[in-house]
Amino acid sequence: MRSSQELLKLKGITKFFGPVKALDNVDFVVYTNECVGLVGDNGAGKSTLVKIISGAVQPDAGEVFWCGEKILLTSPNKARALGIETVYQDLALCDSLTVAQNLFLGRECVSRFLFLPLLKRQLLKERASAVLSDLKITQVDVNKKVRDLSGGQRQAVALGRAFVTSPKLLILDEPTAALAVGQTMRVLEVIRELKNHGVSIILISHRLQDILEVCDRVCVLYEGRVVGEHIRDEVTIELLAKLIARPKEKVDHEIVQD
Amino acid sequence: MKSSRIKTSTRLFGNVAQFREVIVYGVLFCISGILIVTFSLISAQFATLGNFLNLFRQIAPNLIAGVGMTYVICSGGIDLSIGSLLAVVGVLTALVTQATKNLFVIIAIAILTGILTGAFSGYFTAFHNFPAFIVTLGTMSILRGIALVLTKGFSIPIDPSHPVIVLGRGWFLGLPVPVWIAFIVILLSGAFFNLTPYGTYVAGIGSNEEATRRAGINVKLLRFYLYCFNGAITALAGIILAARVAAGSSYVGQGFELSVITAVILGGTPLVGGEARLLGTLLGTFVLSLVGNGLIMAQISPYFTQIAEGFILLLAIVANRDIRLFIQRQLKL
Repeated sequence: MRSSQELLKLKGITKFFGPVKALDNVDFVVYTNECVGLVGDNGAGKSTLVKIISGAVQPDAGEVFWCGEKILLTSPNKARALGIETVYQDLALCDSLTVAQNLFLGRECVSRFLFLPLLKRQLLKERASAVLSDLKITQVDVNKKVRDLSGGQRQAVALGRAFVTSPKLLILDEPTAALAVGQTMRVLEVIRELKNHGVSIILISHRLQDILEVCDRVCVLYEGRVVGEHIRDEVTIELLAKLIARPKEKVDHEIVQD
Repeated sequence: MKSSRIKTSTRLFGNVAQFREVIVYGVLFCISGILIVTFSLISAQFATLGNFLNLFRQIAPNLIAGVGMTYVICSGGIDLSIGSLLAVVGVLTALVTQATKNLFVIIAIAILTGILTGAFSGYFTAFHNFPAFIVTLGTMSILRGIALVLTKGFSIPIDPSHPVIVLGRGWFLGLPVPVWIAFIVILLSGAFFNLTPYGTYVAGIGSNEEATRRAGINVKLLRFYLYCFNGAITALAGIILAARVAAGSSYVGQGFELSVITAVILGGTPLVGGEARLLGTLLGTFVLSLVGNGLIMAQISPYFTQIAEGFILLLAIVANRDIRLFIQRQLKL
């Protein structure tokens, strides 16, 4: 994975919220076609970091590079235009709409009639089915309303919706937090499938076994600093837990940045 | 046993939502049937073609305003000002008919009034996020006041020979003109909201406004337009009503918003929004008018109509919730 290109690179990112230093000189890299796990305790700065990447928050210091070029992520729309898509914990799905309608909300397939855009319902359904089968989401009927789906299916639809925008980088905020074991497995499969389609992923999760399941690399944040960056094979849940909770204690494999 | 039942019902109806729709419509059809039979037994004049055509002519304004209200409620909003708007438009129409015989001018003024009042409510609800309930309550009072100021409390008659009267009393191809107008409004609006993505967006706003916004849809503007649309077609209902009674009065349309909202809820559109049931609204309007008309035919005081309407509204809200729970239990969802 290290041999592939740098897709996103953050250098020396610092962010204050009033007197609180949320991020302290953070360096963070995402390579193309890679899944990075971002872990850390509550308040470690994960949310701030992904908000900066998704353009919702501007850093006080530091530089952002996209495909090697220096950029300014001044708004969520700008990030989206680059191909950075975020799936938040609240999923942002419309309960009373069908799966197909949710997948293509705001990007419906239409034909023009005079000045009116006319929906192509059949094509919409076919394309929705295609998206789901692309991601090997088999148990979701595109005609079903989202409120009739299980939590795992909803998560899968939210991932599918992000995929529809053909993103280059997908930020997933706690996608498995509220799910049962079986559903979690299915969502992780979807994440793997997204990676197979060439999407880079930043996965935020408290469930370390999920991180180790799908991520190529794990990055540990503690009090706004990166305190560990590990290839999956060289790390265990116990080690990650130690890094997250007590980074000051010396841990053998620790690679402190800087 | 249970699983086979689930399979049959899902095969028949595709999904829960359709299943629910079928139940709501079925119940409304049954209620209509029962009401028609009951009232025909009580009064010989009830089940006559004349009475039904008259009934449809009377409910045309409710049908038209019901279309707008369906989509306003679907977007998670509500408009309480439509009854007062009916009065203002009626009064304006009566005043304008004294100056011109040009139907186009009369209709244009009415619709413009509707759009402006809709824009007024829409501005505060959509762009400032005030609750539609309170905003339109304010608009309701303002409009009623304007109607009173314009008429000084009197009724302004419209000359029965004025061309505008046709819109309320005329006949065309065996049907009353108001019924034709209602039919066209329903057809065009239904087509617009079902064939273009805007119907989906409106339902999306009612279901999860933030999600719809994040999908790149200008939800504020859409909500604003929706209130304008509602004002415009309610204004159309106002002309028809004024033309039918050949007068503009500041007291017209009191309780109109309640009738229309009741019909919408009765038709299965959830009060919390997210779904629109246009056909349900039409059926709901019909059932409500049957109750009102039947009570009159049965020589029961029309004052009871209001009491009945209030109870029906509450029943409809309860039924809406219970039908959903019932289906979910049946399908084990």
